[in-house]
Formats: sequence, structure tokens, C-alpha cells
Amino acid sequence: MIKANSSALKDGSRIAVIGAGPSGSMFSFFFLNMAELIGLQADVDLYEPRQFCHRGPSGCNHCGGIVSESLVQRLATEGINLPNSIVQRGIESYTLHMDVGDVEIATPLSEKRIAAIYRGHGPRESSPEAADSFDGFLQELAQEKGATLIRRLVTGIKRDDEKMTVHCADQTSADYDLVVVASGVNSRLLDIFESDMPSFRQPDRTKTFICEFHLGAELINKTFGPSMHVFLLDIPRLEFAALIPKGEYVTLCLLGDDIDEALMTRFFESPEVRNCFPENMIPPHVCHCYPRINIQPSRPIYDDRLVMIGDSGSTRLFKDGIGAAYRTSKAAAKTVVFHGVDADSFKQHYAPLCRRIDHDNLVGKFVFNVAGLVQKARFARRGILRMTRSEQQRSKGPRRMSGVLWDLFSGSASYTNVFLRTLHPAYFGSLIWNLVAGNLRGGTGTKDHEREGEGSHARH
Amino acid sequence: MAGLGKEYKAGEVIFQQGDAGNCMFVIQKGEVEALVDSDGRQLRLRSMGRNEFFGEMALFEKEVRTATIRAIRPTRVLTIDKKNFLGGVHEDPSLSFRILQMMSHRIRDLTDRLARYEEIG
Amino acid sequence: MPGTEPSFRSLAQQAEKQPPCQAHCANSGDVRGWMGVIAQHEKNGLTRDQAFDEAWRKIARMNPLPATIARICPHPCEDSCIRSDKDGAVSINALERFLGDWALSRTLPLPSVIPRLYEDSIGVIGSGPASLSFAYQMARRGYGVTVYERGESIGGMLRRAIPEYRLPHDVLDAEVKRLLKVGITLVNNTDVGTTIGLEELRDRHDVVFLGVGAQATRRLGIPGEDGPGVTAGIDYLRERKRHSQTLGGQRVFVVGGGNTAIDAARSALRDGAQVTLLYRRSETEMPAIAAEVDDARAEGVEFRFLVSPTRIVRDGDKLTGIEIRPMRLGEPDAQGRRRPLPGNGQPQTLAADRVLIAVSQAPDWHGLEWILDDRNSLHADQDGRLDKGLWAGGDDRGAGIAGNAIAQGRLAAESAHAELRGTAAPRMQAHKKVVQRERVQHDHYTNCFRGERPRLPENQRLTNPDAEVDQTIGPEQAYREATRCMSCGLCFDCQQCFMYCNAAGFTRLADTGPGNYFILALEACEGCGKCVELCPCGYLELRDTEASLP
Repeated sequence: MIKANSSALKDGSRIAVIGAGPSGSMFSFFFLNMAELIGLQADVDLYEPRQFCHRGPSGCNHCGGIVSESLVQRLATEGINLPNSIVQRGIESYTLHMDVGDVEIATPLSEKRIAAIYRGHGPRESSPEAADSFDGFLQELAQEKGATLIRRLVTGIKRDDEKMTVHCADQTSADYDLVVVASGVNSRLLDIFESDMPSFRQPDRTKTFICEFHLGAELINKTFGPSMHVFLLDIPRLEFAALIPKGEYVTLCLLGDDIDEALMTRFFESPEVRNCFPENMIPPHVCHCYPRINIQPSRPIYDDRLVMIGDSGSTRLFKDGIGAAYRTSKAAAKTVVFHGVDADSFKQHYAPLCRRIDHDNLVGKFVFNVAGLVQKARFARRGILRMTRSEQQRSKGPRRMSGVLWDLFSGSASYTNVFLRTLHPAYFGSLIWNLVAGNLRGGTGTKDHEREGEGSHARH
Repeated sequence: MAGLGKEYKAGEVIFQQGDAGNCMFVIQKGEVEALVDSDGRQLRLRSMGRNEFFGEMALFEKEVRTATIRAIRPTRVLTIDKKNFLGGVHEDPSLSFRILQMMSHRIRDLTDRLARYEEIG
Repeated sequence: MPGTEPSFRSLAQQAEKQPPCQAHCANSGDVRGWMGVIAQHEKNGLTRDQAFDEAWRKIARMNPLPATIARICPHPCEDSCIRSDKDGAVSINALERFLGDWALSRTLPLPSVIPRLYEDSIGVIGSGPASLSFAYQMARRGYGVTVYERGESIGGMLRRAIPEYRLPHDVLDAEVKRLLKVGITLVNNTDVGTTIGLEELRDRHDVVFLGVGAQATRRLGIPGEDGPGVTAGIDYLRERKRHSQTLGGQRVFVVGGGNTAIDAARSALRDGAQVTLLYRRSETEMPAIAAEVDDARAEGVEFRFLVSPTRIVRDGDKLTGIEIRPMRLGEPDAQGRRRPLPGNGQPQTLAADRVLIAVSQAPDWHGLEWILDDRNSLHADQDGRLDKGLWAGGDDRGAGIAGNAIAQGRLAAESAHAELRGTAAPRMQAHKKVVQRERVQHDHYTNCFRGERPRLPENQRLTNPDAEVDQTIGPEQAYREATRCMSCGLCFDCQQCFMYCNAAGFTRLADTGPGNYFILALEACEGCGKCVELCPCGYLELRDTEASLP
């Protein structure tokens, strides 16, 4: 159906972006960039009452803080260059910890490194110079491009035929031609929206856990090095656990099915975890939260004059949320600039990307289920350990398992891509071989040190 | 330790004119200069700072580097490899806008200078 | 603490705190409360005018003379206002005055119950602010009250000593009249101690309140003090209300540094004199309201600090000069004020025509001396109770600002009422923690500078000596000022906790009102502290649940 472009934005159009997290700020940035390119004059109001320069949870959008290097490069191509003060650490390897042993997985290509960042201004009680906020940086970029920051809390969105109205907690309201919802799943806005608009269903969420340990840069270097420590443990409902060194602190991230205190206690009691810390003792944490993550997209993701981006819409399962925010915000911005703000434009030019993400997530769910089986089956763990270790010991030759694990942990490739690689006969064959060999007596590669509670030594 | 990309000291060469190349660079911090060797004389084309690209021609052509890039001050650069970039452009063509803009800017600049040299010469 | 499990036991809780404005108010006024009624009126279904009415009623229940008191109060509430760290204190004083005048213009009645709920009879001696406050609090609870006033008109110091340009008579008259309407009988021209005895009053009434004030001025005790030309500042102020004075160019010296001294100085100026004020400490130690001192200076009063009079110089009976000597500041005394000590330097004699002394007041106990202890002061408990059925309050318990008198009258009434009814005296404000200044997040509140108050230009003041110098703000400005209140220590519905709690632990209440918008489900709290960090007014706090276990 060919539409007369009545839904296209004209000069003087007004756009409201709710939330200045990565997706909201990047949408504003891309939209204003591209609008300038085609000579469209439009105003972007970016609503964000919180301040990312505050330390602790109030200034933070709660996530592990991993940006894959490919995403860093992609952002650089877009003109978004992360300053040094934001990158807390360049991660160059993963160390996989299981009960059957540990293995360090070096980056497969020199370009595959990871940037560890703080979404907010660092943990509560950290020193002000210690961290610069990733979200804050993106918000400033959006403002430099011309977005107007409005420090008001949005409490409602209403529509009528010709326009959308945004209502705020201080009883003010304003009209717009388009509302971009980027408020995420750690705010009640989508909840309120769901009760206001009966046809809308907000994302399904699950509870994760993040906390920070203060160990000091020197100790962290000695104990963790430039390595992210990942745990595959036989704890039900725990899909993924990682310790990410950053500057003076180490971030712990637990992902799974409604993480709760019982699960956490089990995790902290595991020797694999204790042995990572100096003197095998886990210090009390200084900052913690239970962020929710989007595990099922909202429906619908768009409507006339309305679009959901980032976590408010479709995002990648468990990993690479920031990458998904980038992709969805860019796609939405392109749709709005080049096509229109009506449901049809979004359907044709924005929805396909979201569908791709959703479909990839289905594969991802499957892959994590398989990982769940590995967590339960000791023989599988032995096989994987052996395969990875022998790959890492070889100076040449394809490192298939290492690559699969790397991309799975960092979210730097799509789940479909990862899954297809596991179907490769060479991978499959090697895996079978290692499953057998790894379970024979003395077979997990170098030394078989099943956990006896001994301390882990310096990582490098 | 913190920061991605490669660090170069002042005076260090990032690549030489005539080198093979298949990646582009984005300056994260610092400043570099582009130098062209012509009949034994070294001509300074321009200097570039934070957020600017160089080496982008290698993304589109198989030719060798047309200039030497040398760091003027301590500099950190991020590499964008060909596969990553072209794959990205395929996924999202608008990715190339900035590079096109910058290349267009360079052509304009070089055209101006050429015109001036032709006047003088 | 090595080896222990991480502790998640610091849950968030809603905990109202006392704001500094209330903590510093002599009468513990709920400033934040009545500000909130106005600032949050839309959320709570009131029109702005209804909100003004309701805010006034909240004030009046604690202080029945707000238009009067606001005109003379040194407003320690404003001095402690946390907003002064941001863009200027909230104009609490101007707003209270606006509401006082608002109520008068709309003839709102004072809140009270049906008159004469109880049979007990109440007698009040004196009709200054302490007595009027006590009388009102008893009358509004349903008692029959009789006020005995020595003079013709009522109001005590408010009427006699405060000049018109600060407190116009018609404002005081209107508020007093309104107060008497609550069911108070006035008996004037009756001096307790001479016309009628205290014992007789105690027989006549179940409760008697002594609010006789501090009418007697302390003397300087220097040679030459007795004789014409030397007057107590208070007496001068009283006198000029009865008969206007002309001092045509006379050189007048005022001795003292409190509000009475400033009042006397500015009044003498208006009566045409050349006025110099002598104070034995430096300007920073002056107890007078700083703005009044500035006004006095701007109007033309000269100030000489760190000097003290030693002798009044006379030629026969006629006052010709005053001898002063330099002083210096010594160590701080028990109240923290630096002691004035004789300084170096020669005494100096200044030519003078009149000297007004306003150094301190003392109660005038004639006829009532028997109630004093051996140190000549009233022995009252913290509520002002002297004996069964006998309370006291106001300047007779120690000179202070009118707000103090209002407070003492009110507290005495609460205590008396409790005793009459056989219940415990309610402590109206349970001692909540005071908000810590650093806890209030200035960057949450939009910048909005403190509004200027309309004032009579300096060059018009001496030509209109009785015109009010400070004027009342209008309703627009009043509303704007009320919205500047940051509601320190009490919820004002910013909604951040509700919106950003990861566990969705906050629920909006069905019936909301200032301070009452959300309820936190404690079992939902995940202890991350986000809401506490986001709460801009310090209402939410983390609590250590371990500490509260037995």
C-alpha cells in the first residue's frame, strides 16, 4: 500500500524521547544527525529526571557493563568514541571456572576485546574521579547534537488523533508528533502504559543480581588480571555468572531465572567462586541491586506516533543489551527520518529488525538451555574443559570451542551464528572426541584439579 | 590497561606510505599528521585529531596506503577492519554516511589546494 | 569483615523527619505542613484559594495572631531554611504575613469547637501575646475564658511598644477582635494585684494564667541617669502612641542593641530627631533583627559600636551630654555571646538632648511579689506551671520574642487542659530526628530565586512615618514562594521512588494528602538503596534491621 507521506515529519516537528539511557540517547543522536543531513528541522526533547553523575543505583541503569570491541568499533564509525575515562578496563581473556577445572580463553582475534564500563558514575561510595558514566556520556552526545534534556519524570502518555501528550509527575504536560519510549524495564512507566492502553503488553522480565566488591586496583590486577571470570556451576536457575574487574572494583553479575537470595548464597558458597578472591574470602559488597531484564519483547512494539526501543521493545536475551539498544535506536531513527511516524512505516522498516532479534533470541534460549544441561552434566563439563584447554594450548589451528564460548559470553555474535558454528562437523567431531577423552581417567587435558578448596593463584 | 585500541608515542609511525592495508583507524585521543613522499620531498597534507578517521581508502580499494601517518602527540587509535565495516554497511547502509561526508570534505579541501597550486605554478 | 555472606539487611523505610524551620520556630510551627497544602493543592483537589484558607487554619491553630506576629518575628525559620544553601531561603515570613492578611480580608473565623464544652472557668491576667495565646487555646477547646487587662486597650507590648510602621494598629485590632469572638470575655482597666487580688481570681477561676509581661525597664545605673531627658525606650514608644512627639532636630542617643532600641531609634528619627544608637558590643552581637538594623541605618540612624555610657552630663537639671567610654570584646559567656569589657582609650563626651534607654526589660511584679522565689524570678516548670491551677508564660518568664510568648501560652494551655481533664499533656511534636542538611538534594529542585518583598522606598519613609515599611506580597507571589519549599523530610510526591523501584515496592495510596502519597511494602524491598538515593527530601532512609532486633 503506497501511502501519501502524510506521516512523514515536517519542519518544526517535535519528538519526545522518554529515558536517556543508551537507546534514548542514541536515538536522539542518530535522529538529529540524519535529520540534519536531509535538512529536516525537528526538536527532540529527552526526558530524564535522574542524573548519571550520581554514584550508586540512583544514577545507574544496572548492568554488568560489557561492550564488545566490535560494538566499540561500530560506535566509533558512527562518531561515538568512548573516552578513556569511561572504559574501566580492557578485557583480554575469559577464565571459565567449573568444578572440573578452569581454563583461560584468550581473545580469538586481537580485535575481539571487551570494554568494561560503568553505566552510572560508579558504585556508591566510590571516589568521584574513579568512573565516568557510559550513559552520561551518551546523554551528553545527544545534547551536543541538539536534544533538549528535560529533567522531569514522565508518568503518562496519552494519545489523540493528531498528537501524543506526555504527562509528568509535576502536573505539566506537552504535545508531540512522536513519542519514543526508551524507559526500560526498571521503571514503572511501561506498567502504567499497560493499564492506560489495553492493547499493549509490556515485556516479560526476570530478576538478575549485580553487586560490586571493593578490592583496589592492585589487588584486582593480581587476582583477576585483564580477565573476566565466568562460572558454569550446577546451581539450578543460574544461567550465567561473571566477575568483571573494573578499576578499583569487581562487578559480579548473576543472570538466570529470578535470582534470589537462596541462589546467591549457594553461589557464594561455591569453592570455584571463593577461590577467585584473595585469601578465598568474599568481602562484603558495597553496592548491589536486583535489576530486571527483558526476556520477552513488549507487544506491540510500535503504533502510530509511538515506538518502543531498547529494553522497552526488543532486546537480546541476557547479553549485549547495549548492542541491541544501538541497533534498535538506529533503526527507529532511520524509519522516522526517512519514512514516517505511522504504524505502517514502523512495521515496514523497524519491525523486521526487532523480529530478527526475537528470532535470534529463540535460538539463544535453546543455546542457554544446552548450557544448562552442561551445567548439570559433569561429563559434558569435562569434555568442554578438555576441548577448550587443548585449543588454548595450541598456537595454531581453529579454536572452535573457544570461539563459541567467547561469543556466547560476550554477546559479540548473534546466537544463530554461534549455534550454526556448533553444527560444523569439525566442531561437533572434536566435541565428541573430547567428551570421550575427557571422561577417561586423567583426561581433562593438563592437570585434572577437581576442586579441593585450594586457592587459585595469580592469573597471569 | 583501561581503554581499547592501540597507543602510539609522539613521533611513532602508524603506517607508511606504500604499506598494504585493510583497515581504517579512528583517533580516540591525540593527534596525527598525514605525510606524502613525493620525489624525495615530504609534503604534509594535514593533521587530524580526536574522532577523525584515516586510512579509510583501504576499506574500499585494494591499493596500498597513499600516505604515511605519524603521531604528533601521544595518540590512541581504534582499528576498524574491512570485514567488520563492510559487513556493517551491508546490514545498515547509513553506517557509511559519516565516511562519505568526510571523504567529500577531503575532496573539497584537496580541490581547493590543487586550484591554488595550479595558480601559483 | 572477611568471609561473611553479603548483607542485604539494610532495607529502605519511610521516616518523616522534622525540618529545620519547625525545629527553629519558637512556636514549633508546622511550616512545611502549611506550605505543602498550598504547593500541592492541585494534587489534592483544592483550588488555590481553598488552599490558602486551609493553610491559614493550620497556622491559626498554633498561633491566632499570624498577621501580627509575622510583622515582628525575626523568623529564625528562614535563617535555618535549607533552601538558603541553593537559591535563597523560602520566604516563610512573607508568606505567613500574606496568609494572616488574607484571612483578615476574607474574615475567616478562628478554628474552634463549640463554645463552652466544659464547666471549668479560666482566668487570664494580662492581654499580651502569651495571654492571648493561652486564652485562645483554652477557648477553642471549649472553655469559658476571662481576660483581665490593667489598661484600656489589649495587646500588651504588641500594642504599646511596637511602632505603627512595623505593626499598624488596625491589623492588631482586627486579629484581637477576631480572637475575642471565640468566646472570651474581656475585663479591662483592672489591675490584678491592686484592683483585685490574685487569690480572689484563683478562687473565682479553676485555672489562672499569669501573662503580665516585662514592663519595667532596667536602669543603666550611671550618675545623672535620674532627671528629665532620660526616658526608657519602651516608655518613649508608648508615649508617642498616645501623643505624637516632635523632636525637631534634637540630638537623641539610644542605648541598647535589641529590637526595642531599634524601634526607639527609628521612631525618634521619624519624630524629627538626629539619632545615634550606642551599643556596647559589635554589630554582629546585636540581638535585633538584622533587616531592621539595615533599615535603621538606611533611614539615617547613626551607629556607634563598642561604646558604653558612663555618665549623663547635666547643666543643672538640663541634659547636655552623655559620656561614653570604649569597650572591647572578651571571651564568650554561657550563652556564647562575647563579654563586653572596658577597653583602652579615653572617655568621650557627646552633646545630647535626650537619652533613650533600651537595654533590657524586667517584669513588674507589684502586688504579686509573693509568688517569686528568692532570686526574684518565677519558678515554673517547662509548661509554665507554677502551682495547681496556676500557670505563667511570656516575658514574665524571661524576655524574648513574641513567638516565644505565643508558644508558652499554647504549651501552658495544653498542660492546663490535660490537668483539668485528667489526661497526660500531649507533646504535640514527638521528637523526630531533624533532617540533615546534606541529605536534601538541591539539584532535584528547579532553580527559582527568592522573590523580593515590596517595601516602602527609603526616601518616603520619614515623610510617611507611620506607613508600613514592609508590605504584604500578593497571592501570585505567595503561591510561587510556597512552591519553593523543598518539603525537607516529608514526601511531596516526586514519584521517583515509585517509578524507579526495581521491585515495584511502592504503591500509591487511595487517599493522598501532603506527606502521604505512597506506601512501601517492606517485604518487597531488595535493599539496593536506590529509592533512598533518589529521594530528594530525605524522607526515605535505609534502616539497619539488625539494629532493630531485640
